Amino acid sequence: MACAIRYSATWISAVADPVIREALLSALGKILEAQFILSTREQLKPFECDGLSVYKALPMVAVLPGTVKEVQAIIRLCHQMKVPLVTRGAGTGLSAGAKPDPEGLLLVLTRLSSILEINSATQTARLQPGVRNLAISEAVKQHGLFYAPDPSSQIACSIGGNIAENAGGVHCLKYGLTIHNVLQVSGFTMAGDPVTIGNGGLDNAGLNLLPLIIGSEGMLMVVTEIMVKLLPLPSQVEVILAAFDSIEKAGQAVSNIIAQGVIPGGLEMMDNNAIRAAEDYAHAGYPRDAAAILLIEIDGSAVNVSEQLQSTRQVLQDSGVTSVKIAKTDTEKALFWKGRKSAFPAVGRLSPDYYCMDGTIPRKSLAEVLGYIHTLSEQYGFAVANVFHAGDGNLHPLILFDANQPGQLESVESMGAKILEKCIEVGGTITGEHGVGLEKIRQMPMQFSDDEISQFHSIKAALDPDNLLNPGKNIPLLKHCQEYRALAKNLQPNQLLIQHEPTA
Amino acid sequence: MQDNAHILQDQVQQAITEQQALCIQGGNSKAFYGFAVQADLLDTSGHSGIIEYEPTELVLRARAGTPLIEINSALKQHQQMLACEPPCFSQSATLGGAVAAGLSGPSRPYRASIQDSVLGCTILNGQAQILGFGGKVMKNVAGYDVSRLMAGSLGCLGVILDVTLKVIPSARAEKSFVFTIEPGNSPAFINDLRKRGLPVSATCQLCAQLMVRFSAGNTEIAELENRLKEHYSFIEWRESQDHQFWEQLREHDHPFFDQASTLWRLSLPADADIYGLADKPEDVLSEWGGSLHWLKTTKSADEIFNHASVNNGQATLFRYPAAQQPATIFQPLAPALEQWHKSLKAAFDPLGIFNPGKMYTQD
Ligand SMILES: Cc1cc2nc3c(=O)[nH]c(=O)nc-3n(C[C@H](O)[C@H](O)[C@H](O)COP(=O)(O)OP(=O)(O)OC[C@H]3O[C@@H](n4cnc5c(N)ncnc54)[C@H](O)[C@@H]3O)c2cc1C
Repeated sequence: MACAIRYSATWISAVADPVIREALLSALGKILEAQFILSTREQLKPFECDGLSVYKALPMVAVLPGTVKEVQAIIRLCHQMKVPLVTRGAGTGLSAGAKPDPEGLLLVLTRLSSILEINSATQTARLQPGVRNLAISEAVKQHGLFYAPDPSSQIACSIGGNIAENAGGVHCLKYGLTIHNVLQVSGFTMAGDPVTIGNGGLDNAGLNLLPLIIGSEGMLMVVTEIMVKLLPLPSQVEVILAAFDSIEKAGQAVSNIIAQGVIPGGLEMMDNNAIRAAEDYAHAGYPRDAAAILLIEIDGSAVNVSEQLQSTRQVLQDSGVTSVKIAKTDTEKALFWKGRKSAFPAVGRLSPDYYCMDGTIPRKSLAEVLGYIHTLSEQYGFAVANVFHAGDGNLHPLILFDANQPGQLESVESMGAKILEKCIEVGGTITGEHGVGLEKIRQMPMQFSDDEISQFHSIKAALDPDNLLNPGKNIPLLKHCQEYRALAKNLQPNQLLIQHEPTA
Repeated sequence: MQDNAHILQDQVQQAITEQQALCIQGGNSKAFYGFAVQADLLDTSGHSGIIEYEPTELVLRARAGTPLIEINSALKQHQQMLACEPPCFSQSATLGGAVAAGLSGPSRPYRASIQDSVLGCTILNGQAQILGFGGKVMKNVAGYDVSRLMAGSLGCLGVILDVTLKVIPSARAEKSFVFTIEPGNSPAFINDLRKRGLPVSATCQLCAQLMVRFSAGNTEIAELENRLKEHYSFIEWRESQDHQFWEQLREHDHPFFDQASTLWRLSLPADADIYGLADKPEDVLSEWGGSLHWLKTTKSADEIFNHASVNNGQATLFRYPAAQQPATIFQPLAPALEQWHKSLKAAFDPLGIFNPGKMYTQD
């Protein structure tokens, strides 16, 4: 997966204690074959960042275990030596969640990539964490089933990473997020003790811990096995491409479609910048002159689909649509979606770098927030391409910039922070699916009070008392919260929000 | 319609000062569920009212003490509903109690569970702090998902003050059919119905009778019978005219639940056996496509928990005679998980004020 941002080659130089490093390496040698222990700069370089490459660091060591037993032994060792541990899936995360800890071990789970079981009777699959998201639906297709959450990164991202981020996708509007499609996760506590959450039935024993683990960004446990729920493939699918001459009308159409009482399988929106980029890249047949397009997928039984198709067309007409195209063939349907799913890399070609935001807002505020982003774009002088999960109100403004121009990255981050604050102001959240990681840690105090942040810290301490799992991510230290709030209040365009790590 | 949050907060603060445990109670409709709690009452029923309901956003926020019937009727006016059809068990049932009990109704596998529908909540933790988590948008991954953790926590972590839920449009039409089919063959049959795109929204098996509810648009439901004829000529089936059935099932007003002084609830994978635990087949009623079972049995708790555990599921002693305080009610937890339960309880409620012993005797 292409990195979202090309940035000057900076990393935090390894600050690891050489004695600890040697001891760790020698103990690891007893657990793993040497080829799966990476410790030189060249070996570690490919693992220095996830999809958000502004944040990078070389870990003290990276390991690629091939069995769950090895994973357990590695965790136990880290626990015993009090070495921080960062788990990594495919590294497509967009919030620096998998950024290595320079004093820690990076546990790369891509070799654990087996589909352990497909059970068509219970409509479930048991998976190792390194299984790619798309590989699940591909493998179960022969049983007439699919795995619903489909992030746009699905060809590359892993189910383990999806669990950690509670990943969403185009079909989550109707079929739910990762949390709604997982029955059980197993793995290890930071002490290396096996733990299983959920079961093969639909209800949990004891506290409902699945939502605590799903979306916990690798902070609470290491997941080594997942049981997902599969759904029957819909017998009919139609994809509508609707074009509008204004973003506001498209935004209103989204609300109108949901309000009619029918939930489409997918409801995505792209603005003109995104349309042109995607069209140039994927030749999907998008109207290049439209101010915005909606991609609407309607699925179900034949009767159901034709009924919905009709009512949706009517709603689109009433909302001032300028043109409606319904994909005629499977190839055309796939093409319509290809344009959407490749929108990030397509936009990536427009400018040296882009910054991807992930705020989520109530649908009714779409037009207002998009208007605000447009104003910021003019104020800051950065073009923005909008491509997002409109039905869920999950925005992905992509801010185009050039990180090699001094000050641009900081300026973009300041603009991004303003967008997130606006999302909170209208009753939304700073992140819908990409997670907080390191990237949005400064916005957490805008959304949560000190007491709430303290509660998060006590949850973390309850499950990982030594703070060894992915330390420093997701939840800001209380002592920084006031500072972040104060900074945000006085923020002006081009004023530095943070200082980036110095070049090594 | 009243905001009592600060009164409740004062009561919790006082309990902290006096080191006095509290038994949280909404409508007292589900007090039978879990272990009995001996503590001062904290009554949330006065903290009531719908705070925000935006039909076009499919979002409803209400205080914990709001009666479920009030919520259901507000939703009905806009042809909307709670996706999981939570049981009330009494007219007095409140939203807070429904979320804390974490029980979902007949539509759970096909629509959503109660925790699936939770978007956000405000709670009072064991330090008498008022905290808000989640929100009112469909997707939200900022911080740990405490709101959904509250669902099913039986008041052991904190007092739920208000909840924001995702609601769904009600189906425009509905019909139920009774199929004659042996329980062992039902899960595959239900899968087959769904693979054909038939809009299953609930199932109930009792002996060789499988009742299936279908919910969808008018045309689809009108054509349902023809589609069933087309595909299922080989089994016996007929339309059911029992329009109260699903409500009776959900509320345990169905005759199966009569005289069940001891009732087990097992959540198992749909391919797991249940009849081995029953003295006779009519002592089992199954919902959720064969993955939720209600069981009357003379088997020992150990045997039942063991069966659930071997089959990767879980069992709960759902109802028991009032005079008897059983040793175990909920599925015993594996050691690491039990430790997590204890430390999470301490993270939310360090003094052990809320519902002590409600879920596990030693919590
Ligand atoms: C082009 C592009 C499009 C994207 N589109 C979407 C989208 O539509 N929807 C969406 O939700 N996301 C999207 N993403 C973001 C990203 O793909 C998801 O967050 C994905 O879930 C990350 O999976 P990964 O395997 O790459 O995880 P990584 O990046 O490797 O890790 C992510 C986090 O998970 C933790 N982790 C990984 N595996 C485990 C494990 N086994 N146990 C415990 N913790 C673990 C890591 O520590 C880290 O905190 C997109 C990214 C890109 C680059």
